[in-house]
Amino acid sequence: MNANPPPRLAMQNIRKAFPGVLALDDVSFDCAAGEVHALCGENGAGKSTLMKILGGVYQPEAGEIRVDGVPIRFHHPLEARRLGISIIHQELSLLPDRTVAENIFLGMEPGRWGVLDRRAMTAGAERRLQRLGAAIAADSLARELSIAEQQIVEIAKALIFNTRILVMDEPTAALDDAETERLFLLVRQLRDDGVAVVFVSHRMPQVFAIADTITVLKDARHVATRKREQTSVDEVVRMMVGRELKDYYPVHRLGERVHPILSIRSGGNDVIDGIDLDLHAGEIVVVVGLEGSGKGGLCRAIFGATPFVRGTMTVNGRDCRPTSPREAIHAGIGFVPDDRKGEGLALHQPVIENALLALRGLGRLLAPAGSARRRGERGMDELLRDIDVRAASYEQQIRLLSGGNQQKTVLARWLALSPPVLICAEPTRGIDVAAKAAIYQLLRRYTDSGKAALVVTSDLPEAIGVADRLMVMHGGRLVGSFPAGASEEDVMAVATGHRRHLDLAAFPLGAVSA
Amino acid sequence: MTVAAKHTKALSARGVAVIGRLNASYLAFLALLIVIACITPSILEPAGFMNFLRRGAPLAVVASGQLFVIVVGGFDLSVGSLITLTVMGSALLINNDPGKTWWVIATMYGIGLLAGLINGLVVTYLKVPSIIATLGALLSIKGLALAWSGGSPQGYLPDNFRQFGRLTLHDVPGLGVLPLAVIVLVVVVAVFTWLLHRTNFGRLALVVGDNAAAAALAGVPVRQIRILAFVLSALSAVTAGILLGGFSGVSTDAGDGFELQSIAAAVLGGAKLLGGRGSVPGVVSGALSLTALFTLLNLLGLPKPLRDAVQGLILIAAAAYSVRRQEWSG
Amino acid sequence: MTDVAVAAVRRRSRESMTVAPLLIVSSLLAYCAAAAATGQAAQISVDGFIGVLQRSVALGIVALGQTMAILVGSIDLSVAMLVSVAAVMASWWMQGDPRMMLPASMLVLVLATAVGIANGLLVTKLRVNALIATLAMGLILQGILSASFNNFAGSVPVDFQVIAYGTIGKLPFSVLFMLVLTGILGLILSRTRFGAHVYATGGNLEGARLAGIKTERIIIAAHVLSSLGAAITGLYLASRLRSGAPWVGRDGVYDLESIAVVVIGGTMLAGGRGGVWGTIAGVILFGSLDAIFTMIGVDAFLKQVLRGVIVVAAVAAYAFRSKGQGA
Repeated sequence: MNANPPPRLAMQNIRKAFPGVLALDDVSFDCAAGEVHALCGENGAGKSTLMKILGGVYQPEAGEIRVDGVPIRFHHPLEARRLGISIIHQELSLLPDRTVAENIFLGMEPGRWGVLDRRAMTAGAERRLQRLGAAIAADSLARELSIAEQQIVEIAKALIFNTRILVMDEPTAALDDAETERLFLLVRQLRDDGVAVVFVSHRMPQVFAIADTITVLKDARHVATRKREQTSVDEVVRMMVGRELKDYYPVHRLGERVHPILSIRSGGNDVIDGIDLDLHAGEIVVVVGLEGSGKGGLCRAIFGATPFVRGTMTVNGRDCRPTSPREAIHAGIGFVPDDRKGEGLALHQPVIENALLALRGLGRLLAPAGSARRRGERGMDELLRDIDVRAASYEQQIRLLSGGNQQKTVLARWLALSPPVLICAEPTRGIDVAAKAAIYQLLRRYTDSGKAALVVTSDLPEAIGVADRLMVMHGGRLVGSFPAGASEEDVMAVATGHRRHLDLAAFPLGAVSA
Repeated sequence: MTVAAKHTKALSARGVAVIGRLNASYLAFLALLIVIACITPSILEPAGFMNFLRRGAPLAVVASGQLFVIVVGGFDLSVGSLITLTVMGSALLINNDPGKTWWVIATMYGIGLLAGLINGLVVTYLKVPSIIATLGALLSIKGLALAWSGGSPQGYLPDNFRQFGRLTLHDVPGLGVLPLAVIVLVVVVAVFTWLLHRTNFGRLALVVGDNAAAAALAGVPVRQIRILAFVLSALSAVTAGILLGGFSGVSTDAGDGFELQSIAAAVLGGAKLLGGRGSVPGVVSGALSLTALFTLLNLLGLPKPLRDAVQGLILIAAAAYSVRRQEWSG
Repeated sequence: MTDVAVAAVRRRSRESMTVAPLLIVSSLLAYCAAAAATGQAAQISVDGFIGVLQRSVALGIVALGQTMAILVGSIDLSVAMLVSVAAVMASWWMQGDPRMMLPASMLVLVLATAVGIANGLLVTKLRVNALIATLAMGLILQGILSASFNNFAGSVPVDFQVIAYGTIGKLPFSVLFMLVLTGILGLILSRTRFGAHVYATGGNLEGARLAGIKTERIIIAAHVLSSLGAAITGLYLASRLRSGAPWVGRDGVYDLESIAVVVIGGTMLAGGRGGVWGTIAGVILFGSLDAIFTMIGVDAFLKQVLRGVIVVAAVAAYAFRSKGQGA
């Protein structure tokens, strides 16, 4: 009697630590050939790190990886690829100025004596694209393709390498329903061909549509692995979040319905249109939407980074439609960007300097450096201590802090200025759970003092938990409005565009269900 | 406390403070001085040392200005030609009439201001990379200087102009002699140190060089700060030109080489080439180290052109070292 | 989103190829206009145009090499000094002896290759900023050269001068050579694996590396090509001037102008996009401008001032469009 063949992929007891944070704590994960295995967890649970280890980008401190039973140690992503492990990241990495065929065959161009065999490249690319059911011309430039098409090209590229294990990281983030369905067809096809597919996502409907097995990670640990038939969305979500929602999120408030602090009418630009929005003192309004819905564009439009070109905007009754961040700040708006490292922090500068940035920006150029630090009754150092920014010293470079402390510093920047309107884009992305809760509480305290906060997030449970009012964007427009405590299904239905025909008037302050 | 928070605390305690790190350039300077002293002991006497400082002052001044441009993430390659323009233009305009000296100096600063503004505007508004923009300025300014003078040194610099470079005060208590150039150097260094380390502008400049996008989103006037950096660089070049014209006289290549030397000095002094880090004392020490090195090579009988080769090697070594050091400190 | 018809109809916009003809045509038009305006209609002739091309050869060949460096995302500011070194060493090694023509030229090319490898290593292994590394290398070359020579050195045998002065019919040999070189490089870029890897390295260094491309070798090769371009120009100048002097590179401002010409021709400074034909068009533009200035009678020093302004304006026109960093 033969023993069962070893699983295509077996990761055992993986441990990975970074300065300041333990990313994976004794995590094990298997995937069999011909299986679609979903890997779920909140941001920061460890999914990306685990996949990066599999892809050879990181090396674990402890633990073992076996492919078809053979123990492997990768030192470079190329080694992982050679063993048939292909990872399709969320950030697509095609060369925009090269053709589809050139991208697919990158690094493995067919040809003799160094001369490219373009015919073989075009034919090979078309063959692969056809097999994936895509009608993409092999000689179009990558930059001309839609995100969905680029994804397909990435998959085609992965398949060139005789992939045995395919990892897809949030592949449906930028796709609409039809494209997602097409992707799933492809995934099923790959599974039937014997590929082990790992599907990293936190979108429950899709996970349950495509996965055979589901594994949940939480706080760097493995929580559970279940077959899809033996579990439910509720159970998985509970395992992901792991605590009673009501303890986690702050108390809800109804905003003062007198005069809105921020009011936008018919706002629009290249990416958003028809924005009618009111923000009142004391309320936290959350805007959700799937990738490409325009919620990021909304933030940047209000803050003047990519300004509105149509419509009107008033802050505290005064007309203003900022065309630059500086104008927005003078009008009383603050902004915490979603890309902390790229747009929020000066990584090699001290914590205190990052915190003082907005204050300094407003101050006179030749003013003494110390004056900004001592401004206000409390001064910045005390403010940072007050909100529990943990660092060996505030003169330390901010890149040495954990994500949570970094985010709190960015928040402190605005707390010091105390603008009437504070916009936060993905405020808890990539932060540990304790810091998340702290940030929610900070936002609550802020609005309790008479300010308004607009939070934009892709995290639906968080949105529902935090919001006093929840608004939904789709296709660059505001398509729905819900009070606190709406159901995920209702919100998701509007966010995915199922209910796009119903307009805002039908959603005064209550949701319409069914 | 969660696992993650505990780790944060533990590792934060081991965090390294940025200020107070020992700067390689101080050591280099000291070492070079000692070597020179072995050959010419007089350098360690007040008179000899002051003389050394006087000769090193132009580079130190221009390097301090260059530092601001480097800190905000650019390069200013036009400083050398601006020095040449200052020297030649002053000689032409004054033409040995001491009464004109002061307004000519004012004019030169005006030209420097204009040059810095143009550089800054081209880089910030036209989005031309500073290397190209300032190389173009170098060409144009040099061309202007040559066109103006007809290709060879014209005119004459009177004593009241040259005093900045040449005059030495005697019978100064404690030091014995004190060149005017050294006083100028000290004043410039003091002002620039204050600007970079003690004002909003300086702190903001460091952030702009570190992450201009983040600075812009926090409401920092990024463009103004960058333009100001170029202006400071240009003004320091004019100052250096005045000093240089003082003790070297007029020539068409007065300022040659200062652009790369000032960048080398900045890198030696701990500045990061793509912005976000630098200190004025460090740059000055780097500049003086370079001057010491050139003095040494001179004493050893190395012909002037080979100095350029040595300088190139130092620039490479300094840049490579700067990259390594960044990787070590993470 | 995906429409079969649309996808089938989408064709690559060959930007490099559309920019080039546009530049060339507008250059020639401006040239003709200036000639007409200044009463030098005689310049509007085949001879006149060939004259423009001929004046472009030196810069053109350097710019071809520079294109390779910029395509991989690097840059080469040592070319001006290398031109001088090549010119001087060639004429000095030849000393007017026809038998030394080939060996001296070979030696010069070998020397250039060594410099290119050095530049490439500085950028890839020591990870020095390419601007600083190549500027410094130029400085080193200048120092050594100026220390050894301060005037014309040696001389070039008469036979060697055929490179600069020989013609095939009306077409100068040198112009033909430049065009052939452009064709060869163009073919390499579009039809070989090496060319594909050049674009990949410049377009996305990490991505190229992850795809298994040996990016370090590609960058070094690009720098070698750049240095060879400079060396060939040096040989050409030695042939033209009948001897080499240490200031020929400096005077020609080959470093800055080669960069400007490459950028005008549509190759992005960030790398990964562009090509050699655009560069040649840019070179022709500059040659025409030069001829126009001469026709108008602009003072030599003022020409230099204008050159600086034009270079910056040319780069600005492209940088402005592509939203550069601003530093």
